Amino acid sequence: MMLLRAVVTRLAPLLACLGLLGIWQVAALILDTDSFPTALDAIRAIPAILGDKESLINILASLRRMAIGFGLAVMVSIPLGLMMGRSRGVAAFFNPLLMIIYPVPKAALMPIIMLWLGVGDVSKTLVIFLGVSLPVIYHSFEGGKAVEEKMLWSGAAMGLSAAQRMIRIVLPAALPEILTGCRTGLVLALITMVTSEMIARQSGAGNILFNALDMGQYDTVFAMIIIIGAMGIGLDAAFEKMRGRLVKWSEPRFDLPLSFS
Amino acid sequence: MIEIDRVSQVFQTAGRQSHLALSQISLTIEDGAFVSILGPSGCGKSTLLYIVGGFVKPTDGVAKMRGKAITGPGPDRGPVFQEFALFPWKSVLGNVMYGPRQQGVKHAEAEAQSRRLIEMVGLKGFEDFYPKELSGGMKQRVALARTLAYHPAVLLMDEPFGALDAHTRTRLQNDLLNIWERDRKTVLFVTHSVEEAVYLSDKVVVMTRSPGRIKEIVDIDLPRPRRRAELLLDSRYQKLVVDIERMIDDTSEDELRT
Repeated sequence: MMLLRAVVTRLAPLLACLGLLGIWQVAALILDTDSFPTALDAIRAIPAILGDKESLINILASLRRMAIGFGLAVMVSIPLGLMMGRSRGVAAFFNPLLMIIYPVPKAALMPIIMLWLGVGDVSKTLVIFLGVSLPVIYHSFEGGKAVEEKMLWSGAAMGLSAAQRMIRIVLPAALPEILTGCRTGLVLALITMVTSEMIARQSGAGNILFNALDMGQYDTVFAMIIIIGAMGIGLDAAFEKMRGRLVKWSEPRFDLPLSFS
Repeated sequence: MIEIDRVSQVFQTAGRQSHLALSQISLTIEDGAFVSILGPSGCGKSTLLYIVGGFVKPTDGVAKMRGKAITGPGPDRGPVFQEFALFPWKSVLGNVMYGPRQQGVKHAEAEAQSRRLIEMVGLKGFEDFYPKELSGGMKQRVALARTLAYHPAVLLMDEPFGALDAHTRTRLQNDLLNIWERDRKTVLFVTHSVEEAVYLSDKVVVMTRSPGRIKEIVDIDLPRPRRRAELLLDSRYQKLVVDIERMIDDTSEDELRT
């Protein structure tokens, strides 16, 4: 009984995926339209895409832009968020700016950015950067703000300067919250990556998807959706594994497995 | 020696009103003395400790340590807070080693020292535990070891046992006294428990409620080393506790009248 439960818990994510594909398969067979291929057809189209050199170059170009956009955003947003969290002045300056940018869909800025910077890598990377920045800034801000004053005082008594306290106390103390923001940011990077390529069609995973859509190759469209989804799951699982290792000191002992790691 | 000279502290409250937390406090603490600051909550006793720690700047007056005005925190004054304030991302050993490492002590030496301290506060075997895995009493033991590790001349204890249950509290009081008997550091100890103050201290500074003023300084001339079981039956101890409790009752009545 215990063993069975353990096996079911282990396999639950897999069973959920299979269930979803099953429903898809049945629904597609019932509806029977060209624009909704069956799950099997879509899966069958995947090797063709991954086997094609052109497609692989496109997908790798997407991932590269995503990595650069995400990396830059994290490097800027964490220090900014933490400083906002520790200094009322800095927060008062940046908060109104962020409040204006926050509700704007970052992909909606894409046409303007394209106008200024062209349709190349710079524009797309910038949009990814913007998409990732806000959740990371917000969570770093909250994390920095929540750092116990007495912890900083303890550090000060040991002789840590203000800058050392920022790097060696505020940063690690806020790390669980920062990484929560980074996890959201990572998914947003994937989303803005695809949308930016939808608007500025030139290369990338989004480009393959929307070109296939234009040409009515619906199995390729759905295969790309599966590939992008799988990339998201893979990246998130890898990130969760890293996060778990970095902040195991803050995790409750018995945690619900929320990811596939 | 710590000299507190006519120190006043005014806080701005949310409604832009100013609140006088401490009024004209003057107090001298001799080296090696165990001095408790006792008073009702909100009398500014913790604020006074934070001023000596250099964490809070007094609005008026000056606090001096060995003749030099205190302008900020420093490793000569080690705080122990009610909230423990341990570094949760560091193990017990990592927490205790943090101060010595910051002071430039070599890793191996800092580790050996820290292991000895951890044993002294009764936590041998818990070196690799994270703070969240420890009980409140154990956390406070780690906090005490972490502060002792960088050899401050003065211990600043801010209601250190306030968050603990009665049994744990008693054990930590006993252990603190034992540790203190060894090297007789200067201790400034903030508490609202009369028994705790009398049991531990050479001198008890009784404060009035807002604005915080010194009402009376009581010398506790009970012999040392003190044993709790003997002390509880000692009529001198009992009288001191009752006397000080009366003083505090008086200050509460003063407050009701105004």
